[in-house]
Amino acid sequence: MATEEESAVKEPLDLIRLSLDERIYVKLRSDRELRGKLHAYDQHLNMILGDVEEVVTTVEIDDETYEEIVRTTKRTVPFLFVRGDGVILVSPPLRTA
Amino acid sequence: MLFFSYFKDLVGREVTVELKNDLAIRGILHSVDQYLNIKLENTRVVDQDKYPHMITISIFDWESVDTSFKILQFGLSVRNCFIRGSVVRYVQLPPEGVDIELLHDATRREARGG
Amino acid sequence: MSAGPGLESLVDQTISVITNDGRNIVGILKGFDQATNIILDESHERVFSTKEGVQRLVLGLYIIRGDNISVVGELDEDPDSRLDLSKLRAHPLKPVIH
Repeated sequence: MATEEESAVKEPLDLIRLSLDERIYVKLRSDRELRGKLHAYDQHLNMILGDVEEVVTTVEIDDETYEEIVRTTKRTVPFLFVRGDGVILVSPPLRTA
Repeated sequence: MLFFSYFKDLVGREVTVELKNDLAIRGILHSVDQYLNIKLENTRVVDQDKYPHMITISIFDWESVDTSFKILQFGLSVRNCFIRGSVVRYVQLPPEGVDIELLHDATRREARGG
Repeated sequence: MSAGPGLESLVDQTISVITNDGRNIVGILKGFDQATNIILDESHERVFSTKEGVQRLVLGLYIIRGDNISVVGELDEDPDSRLDLSKLRAHPLKPVIH
């Protein structure tokens, strides 16, 4: 029974449990995205990620041409606690297509 | 309770708290409560080159200001501060304060309905 | 639950509050509760701008609802009193976006 309990996916958080110790993709509010190894989470989707890459997307309007300039800023952080209220979606490890 | 317990064990270590207003405050973790409100000691506001839009000054203290508004050195008017849990976006954790095995076990226990 | 980061140690001290809309209010902490609602006495707002020095708006006795509070700082009176607010220029802080 224990193995069935471990692997059964009945609710969304079960899928996240199976991603423990795997690299995941997290989309956050305010145009932020994270990729990192999932080390801990709770029911609020608070998380601790390791080897995190954060990408922030900003859009500026050019003063003269009024064109939208999309910029992405990347940085890496060794360990990051992420507060769950900013999480929009969590995706399990990317399988190479 | 997982993260409340985790942060309690982290008391005394240096962390960087990034807020939802893009301010980043570095300091020694003094205490935490069940809402994940955080108290930091010996705080300073982080200046991140990579983050041009990140405010590099502390709102509390404005010791010297360059007239072109570019460089605002912050002084020491605020040494300790209370951060409301609800405005936290991230906490950068010290690598020595992360025990991966312990976190995995605690997470599985919590997932089972702890 | 009493060992948490309460505001007990700041009662009757001058504190600096950053609100979620980016304002900075300075006053004497008279009381607080679990939800971080606070009572501030003799409070004033410090309005920052890039065009002129810091404006000081007198507010008096204020109760601020916890939901609107980002950060509460303990203000060291001595360095703070040495600040020449009229010479300070700064962009206002960004609001918190939840």
